[in-house]
Amino acid sequence: MAIAKQGAARTGKRRKALSSRENLLLLLLALPGIIWFLIFSYGPMAGLVVAFKSFNIRDGIFGSPWNGISNFRYFFMSGDAVTVVFNTVFLNSLFLGASLFAGLVLALMLNEIRGGPYRRFMQSVIFFPYFVSPIVISIMLQVILSGVGGRGGLLNNLLNVFDLPQVAWYTEPGAWPWILTIVKVWQLGGYTSVIFLAAITSISEEVYEAAALDGASRWRMALSITVPLLLPTFAVLVVLGVGRMFFGDFATIYAIVQDNGVLFPTTDVIDTYVFRSLRMIGDFGTTAAIGLFQSVVGFIFVAAAVLVQRRVQKESSIL
Amino acid sequence: MVGTATIGRTLRPGRKVARRRLEPFAAASYVTVTLFGLFCLVPLWMIVAGSLTDESVLGLNGYSLFPQPFSLRAYQLLFTGQSLLNGYVASLFITVVGTLLSISCTASIAWVIARRLPFISRPLTIFAYIPMLFNGGLVPFYLLVTQVLHLTNSWFAMILPLMLAPFLIFVTVSFFRQMPEEILDAARIDGAGELRIFFQIVLPLSKPILAVLALFYAVTYWNEWFTGLLFISDTDKFPLQLILQNLISNVTNAASLPSSAGDSMAPVYQLRFAMTVLTVGPILLAYPFAQRFFVKGITLGATKG
Repeated sequence: MAIAKQGAARTGKRRKALSSRENLLLLLLALPGIIWFLIFSYGPMAGLVVAFKSFNIRDGIFGSPWNGISNFRYFFMSGDAVTVVFNTVFLNSLFLGASLFAGLVLALMLNEIRGGPYRRFMQSVIFFPYFVSPIVISIMLQVILSGVGGRGGLLNNLLNVFDLPQVAWYTEPGAWPWILTIVKVWQLGGYTSVIFLAAITSISEEVYEAAALDGASRWRMALSITVPLLLPTFAVLVVLGVGRMFFGDFATIYAIVQDNGVLFPTTDVIDTYVFRSLRMIGDFGTTAAIGLFQSVVGFIFVAAAVLVQRRVQKESSIL
Repeated sequence: MVGTATIGRTLRPGRKVARRRLEPFAAASYVTVTLFGLFCLVPLWMIVAGSLTDESVLGLNGYSLFPQPFSLRAYQLLFTGQSLLNGYVASLFITVVGTLLSISCTASIAWVIARRLPFISRPLTIFAYIPMLFNGGLVPFYLLVTQVLHLTNSWFAMILPLMLAPFLIFVTVSFFRQMPEEILDAARIDGAGELRIFFQIVLPLSKPILAVLALFYAVTYWNEWFTGLLFISDTDKFPLQLILQNLISNVTNAASLPSSAGDSMAPVYQLRFAMTVLTVGPILLAYPFAQRFFVKGITLGATKG
């Protein structure tokens, strides 16, 4: 008994100081993860030297001859640089704005639905698209926009009903930023609303009771209580989105557009451009240069976002 | 204090009346949410209906909400052919093996970070955080997998790159840190070593977060297609998503889907839809049971950032 008590006192006092053997065992536990990070995260960072080399398979990553910044010059001299950078930022802004707005509105409205089972059912339904893979989205979009064999499609059938001319959507680059935005709202609207709903449930019920006493309608409460109290969450999501601004959503865009060159002027983002030049041209040096450019600018965005987010969250915790 | 209590009491009957009357905003909410729900479901239903509609009609009339004339031909062809089975084997292998690897590695590194060990936990946090800020990009990654690891045409080329998600590591860390210290202390007094504490006490107490991890990783693996596009070229090893990708990039590939050679007129579009249904199917089936874990995961992630 006495020994056990003594032991307890000792561990209580120096709980943090483990024996070096215990430390070693814990490190062993983390080892697979550490090795993974070294290979798959830090390895490619070292591999970025390819951007400054004239790469050939025979000499490998580190053996290939240096060629300075000519890889970068090639990318920036081609007219593509401006287009893909603009598309990346423009499309991401549209996606972010639309999905946040949809998520906020859906959360406010779901909050009004009091019937438990119906609300839970609708929440499940609108959350589901988040789990649908990009390829499946692409197939659904073809059903809606072009139908079987490029004729018709659901949307064109609808246009027919109103005596409007049919549109060959897959040859109409101007429409695609908006089509992709609608796809994003479909995909992320429910997901974003879950985040907002979680924030809504943390708002104290008393605030609403006080408003009800003053005779406020539900609409008034949503507008003057819920929305202002959701602003910090909104701000954090905006900041995180802006941080990701330089990284296109490769999977969704490539799955939908594939190699349809007609649509490139409005849909080609950095990620799809890099992927294509790697696969079709096989120019590793130039492609890596674009990747490095993206990583560096992306890093600046993300780092700025993290700093702003810290500030926003600190302020919101005071609220 | 007494004041608010009485107000609360007098308020209650009033609120009941207010609830019975449907306010315009609430009515608008019901309508809008229902419409958005339909907007989410109709595209999926079109695929299901299309997969059950006879190909000849699909071509003439386009799509309809109800399959007419009803036809199971595409499913028959798929189930008698070989490529659906191959696709399922590949997708299941990637998903099951990947998820197991992911959960074990995520939980272990997260525990070491959560333990707040001097000289270990802090550096490890930074070590796992940097990849969220900066990455090497596609080309070095591609060269790593093909030239260094030689994983071309191996399912592990689709598993290993996705094995750890830093974001999920940090979600797990924040869960572990809420674990009551007393339980761990009690185990230490009884002489349990650190490894034993992790495997016999921490993990059994962490089933909710392990479920969250399993589901997030499993969906990621099941839907993964980019690494397949890059590294898998052997059609016999294609997972489901890659078979689908092959179908949309080239319609004529659909005709080669069923192996029944005597079939000259394969219903290409119907086949494509049936394949899509069978790809989304498992997620759709698991979804009702898994959904609450996703919500929990997102909420944990959103509050802990």
